[in-house]
Amino acid sequence: MILTLALPIAALIIGFVLVFRLPALPPAWAPYVALSLLAGFDALIGGLRARLEGRFDEAVFVTGFFANMVLAALLSYLGDKLGVDLYLAVTVALGIRVFTNLGRIRGLLVTTRHERRQSQQAPGSY
Amino acid sequence: MASPPPVGRHWVLAITGICLVLGALLGVQVHTQVVRGETEVGRSTSLMSQMLSEARAQVERQNKEIERLRIQLSKYENQASSDKGLTRLVSEELQNSRAALGVLPMKGPGVQLVLDDSTMKVGSGVGDQDLFVIHDFDLIQIANELWAAGAEAVSLNGQRLVTGSAITCSGRLIQVNKTTISVPFTFAAIGNRDNLMSALNIRDGTLDRLRRLEFVVNLTPAEEVTVPAISIAPKYQYAKPALQEHTP
Repeated sequence: MILTLALPIAALIIGFVLVFRLPALPPAWAPYVALSLLAGFDALIGGLRARLEGRFDEAVFVTGFFANMVLAALLSYLGDKLGVDLYLAVTVALGIRVFTNLGRIRGLLVTTRHERRQSQQAPGSY
Repeated sequence: MASPPPVGRHWVLAITGICLVLGALLGVQVHTQVVRGETEVGRSTSLMSQMLSEARAQVERQNKEIERLRIQLSKYENQASSDKGLTRLVSEELQNSRAALGVLPMKGPGVQLVLDDSTMKVGSGVGDQDLFVIHDFDLIQIANELWAAGAEAVSLNGQRLVTGSAITCSGRLIQVNKTTISVPFTFAAIGNRDNLMSALNIRDGTLDRLRRLEFVVNLTPAEEVTVPAISIAPKYQYAKPALQEHTP
């Protein structure tokens, strides 16, 4: 698991470093980019959870990632235009989802480890 | 659940691609915040107030510097005026222009006027609090009356009123020459004392109106009134002398 995640983590760092060579975005965009980031992380965590649960689908993952990012930014932009703090709704909804998914992933990893340990002990006792 | 069902190696590639995008987005955001932190937009209030007090101290220093340089200049001019002929004429002309511009402190006979908010308590009469405080328009009217009565030099709370001196109101504060002033408001005016006194005390004039509302109005003639110089001489950025019609 850790070894297979080396590639994505490397990609994360490469992406981070590469962008610093580009000019910065206008500061007015910062809140929307931040929400997109949150949506992106949510999609990533959701993808990992789906993978652990064995129901991972690339098409769903990739489309979900981009659609959620655009939607999060769009919704908060719309909220700003309408005078409603919709960014709060996006932040809370996505935040809760990230934590729930992280909790699920942790649970899945722990149960996997327990099962593995039990299956190692099993052959002798049988 | 021991080992996830095989879905191929594509999932790693998909997540890697997504991570690249996510990393880039993160970089953009951090970069933007870093750049924003360098400009003044993102600065905290405490930093701003520190900058303000530093700027104020700088203004103070520079005002002192201006004063020092003016004294030095007047010394040179005195030396020049002790010469004869054209130099003397030019230096006299320069001095007159300076006086008109307001960059020289002036003294002479005149009047002193001190104004303070009304002693009438809110609720004791009719109207709200706005009726019992001195407004920018009161000061503008008084300044106008002083000029109309032939005042030659006028200052308000130590701010010389010159061409382009604006008395404005911003919230609860009054500004003159872009400097904030507050009660008590003190006018010093140089001119014919009798004319100034009678002009200000005119029936239904501004002072009459203020006195009726129990404002503190203290108008006194004085043998010698000192009117300070304007700290920053007016600059002409757009206006240029139009001399063509007068030159033959």
